[in-house]
Amino acid sequence: MTVYGKESFLNTIAAKLGRERVYDVQRPDLRPLIPNSYGSLTNDDLIEILKEQCYFIHTQLIESNSEILQTTLNDLIHANGGGAVITSGDDRFLHYGLSFPNSFVWEEAAGREENLLRSEAANTAIVFADYALAESGTIVIESRPDQGRSLHFLPTNYIAIIEKERLVLRSTQAAADLNRRVEAGEPVGSAINFISGPSNSADIEMQLVVGVHGPLRATYVLI
Amino acid sequence: MKVSIFSTCLVDLMTPNVGIAMVEVLERLGCEIDYPAAQVCCGQPTYNSGYLEDSKLAMKNMMLAFENSDYVVGPSGSCIAMFHEYPKIFKGDPHWELKALALKDKSYEFTQFIVKVLGVTDVGAKLKGNATYHRSCHMTRLLGEKESPYQLLGKVKGLQLEPLKNSDNCCGFGGTFSVKMPEISEQMVDEKCGCVVDTGADILISADMGCLLNIGGRLSRKGEPVKIMHIAEVLNHHHATAAAKGGRET
Amino acid sequence: MSLQTDKRDFSERTSEGLGDNFMRSAVSSAQDSLKTRRLSAATDLGDWEQWRSIGQQIRQHTLKNLDYYLEQLADNVEKKGGYVYFAKTKEEASSYIRDIVMQKKAKKIVKSKSMVTEEIEMNRVLMDAGCELIETDLGEYILQIDDWDPPSHIVAPALHKDRSQIQRVFTEKLGYTGDESPENLARHARTVLRQKFLEADVGITGCNFAIANMGAINLVTNEGNGDLTASIPKTHIAVMGMERIVPTLEEMEILDNLLCRSAVGQKLTSYITVMGPSATGETDGPEEFHLVVVDNGRSEILGSEFNEALQCIRCGACLNVCPVYRHIGGHAYGSIYPGPIGAVITPLLGGYGDYKELPFASSLCAACTDVCPVKIPLHEQLILHRQRIVEEKRTSSSERIQMKTAGRLLSSQTLFGKALRFANPASRLLSRHGRIIKGPGLVRGWINARDLSQPVKQQDSFRTWLDRRKGGANQ
Repeated sequence: MTVYGKESFLNTIAAKLGRERVYDVQRPDLRPLIPNSYGSLTNDDLIEILKEQCYFIHTQLIESNSEILQTTLNDLIHANGGGAVITSGDDRFLHYGLSFPNSFVWEEAAGREENLLRSEAANTAIVFADYALAESGTIVIESRPDQGRSLHFLPTNYIAIIEKERLVLRSTQAAADLNRRVEAGEPVGSAINFISGPSNSADIEMQLVVGVHGPLRATYVLI
Repeated sequence: MKVSIFSTCLVDLMTPNVGIAMVEVLERLGCEIDYPAAQVCCGQPTYNSGYLEDSKLAMKNMMLAFENSDYVVGPSGSCIAMFHEYPKIFKGDPHWELKALALKDKSYEFTQFIVKVLGVTDVGAKLKGNATYHRSCHMTRLLGEKESPYQLLGKVKGLQLEPLKNSDNCCGFGGTFSVKMPEISEQMVDEKCGCVVDTGADILISADMGCLLNIGGRLSRKGEPVKIMHIAEVLNHHHATAAAKGGRET
Repeated sequence: MSLQTDKRDFSERTSEGLGDNFMRSAVSSAQDSLKTRRLSAATDLGDWEQWRSIGQQIRQHTLKNLDYYLEQLADNVEKKGGYVYFAKTKEEASSYIRDIVMQKKAKKIVKSKSMVTEEIEMNRVLMDAGCELIETDLGEYILQIDDWDPPSHIVAPALHKDRSQIQRVFTEKLGYTGDESPENLARHARTVLRQKFLEADVGITGCNFAIANMGAINLVTNEGNGDLTASIPKTHIAVMGMERIVPTLEEMEILDNLLCRSAVGQKLTSYITVMGPSATGETDGPEEFHLVVVDNGRSEILGSEFNEALQCIRCGACLNVCPVYRHIGGHAYGSIYPGPIGAVITPLLGGYGDYKELPFASSLCAACTDVCPVKIPLHEQLILHRQRIVEEKRTSSSERIQMKTAGRLLSSQTLFGKALRFANPASRLLSRHGRIIKGPGLVRGWINARDLSQPVKQQDSFRTWLDRRKGGANQ
């Protein structure tokens, strides 16, 4: 049995709520209630908002373009101290003609242990964002056979490439779009990550330490 | 305009000057004052201690006492906030719910009444001195009255108002809290006193006598020479004598 | 750890807190900085009050239809190949988890911060079963290696410790040789814990919100430990309080915004992840996913007069503004849930027997109610508790008599008038130079720390003044 104890548990809840079980509920539409404090924004406005926020979340933001992207990334890898690189298997690496020496790709064929080992050994991870949220400086990315969960957490440095057209204002837009896919029955990765900068903690005397369990450093490359 | 004074039991018991000042200010602003004699206490001391039934007696007495009033004005954000809770407390009670709503709708804290109902911010007061203002929690959070005292104090000639650090932290009074949990309350009032003293002000003003007796009592115990004044006393001060004279030790 | 963290009585715990100067200065500076950060993050969102009311609506809608959303959640987890266990009691919950761990022959467990697992005493059960269990949240890890010191804040569990205490523990328990800088201490923990993640057989996490229409859970962290816990081990067990659920990602997004801004003043924390059982072809993430839905007393709150307490999203904002918490600290509450929300839910989950003082440990200043991102009327709930405690006759008989007398006195002008007349002459016996210097119960508590002048004489009272005026006499 994969679900245990459901009926009596839920019956208790219904009884405490003073009614029979309910089987058809419409969630209220909250979208009209959500305040819009920004008004309408251009892509350039979004970039400005993103830049400002990256400062607050200790994330380097580099503006690049498709022609010089390879050089930008090489420079960043170098600045991170070189070492092994792991990338996702995203088609866009091919599309932009990117390749790196001493690098691995997260791939289904490698299997669990090997992918984990490669990520743990990597000094830098490079991925492409599915969406980027200007307001919070967040990239949104899903797990896939060619892009594991640990890829974002095990390597010491983290680089996310953001294509300008994937920039939206805030999490509202990304959540709505993702939920539309869920409701349409489209496949969605088993993990959806909203990542806003490097890992950090303020657990010791409330003093911010950047770099705890996940990457010590995060860089966004905007193209 | 006819105004019924709600003096509050603390003013009755401890600080008649506050009631007198309130009456004089309101009369100068053209109000016709009456004092329903049956009034006693809003019931907060027992209510906040959890003694609901014992409190309802006091609450019912107040609803009856002010039944024929047009406006009820009191010198305490906390006691007026208690009136505003009555409709929740008597919800569903066929006899008392409507009376509770009626009292809520016509009750105002003193400064709130002057600014929001009378539309006055300059009452012509003068008081030379350096002061700081303690905003009481119940007045700002439960009654939702934040700005009126500042607007009125801003117009008092000669009065310099210093900002109070951590002004949104409670002074530790909390009615019976201060006697039920005296050790905690003492630490809270100590911190508040520290902030008051740090402003360098000579006068501490508030719109709630409970907070003032608490902070003032502690300041006095610590030998700090800060005078306390209820805001009604400040607004009734129209001759620019030295501040200390308007103040009062607890 | 269980709900109860300290069996001593309230006054003993409080005195200890009040006497701990380091803790108190740590808490007040944390409060002051979090207050500013929270305010600016809330202001940035624009129309914070509107956001709060949306948050409240979401929580109330979900609670009102809790059975529906939990069923939808369970169906969707099942569809994705995961397991769901509905546990009515803490014993059911922790033994189910133990059984899974035994079945997997797991020895090494990593865990990310979860209050509900404390409530169900899961750590003890798993360690008794012979497992090595590692808390991976930095704050929790510090507490664990310091012989399971209890947490004192729901978001910053080690708030009561300073860096030199932490350095000492690291040196003693981990052979740490570095200095006391938070950076170096954190790096050391990273190295130790990275190995633990890689070796772990089972990962256990809490759940900020379950997402009903996805059959997934949402974790909100800054360190990334929750993600590693749910990515590397082959088995992931997520434990949730039954009320921690939202219909879809859209509601999650709103609540996460309220949560992050209220908890730490960030727009979003570094890692916000939605996760469930691994999908086909994905090589990491759990091969086996278990979701444990815990009641443990919550259904007794549901639909009761305390229902709104279940709206809580565990942001800790009420702790960060509470003037009482500021001085006594988290341990004084004797519960894993301290502060105002702790004073509301601890007696509900643990009973008045052990916790009847908590609802009185508040000046009812309502700072908590004001700050709550989902609009729980916390101070009103504290008053409600007080009423129930009084009804159950759990207050002292002398207090009950005093209150009954006060109730009479304060509702009759005749009686109150008499009392006023006698207050001044009576207080003379207790006073010197116009100040009261001794007195019974209530008065004593006051004058121990504060001066109190005598009540006014009858002839000086406000009422006498009014009467004289009416009579046309000169003032």
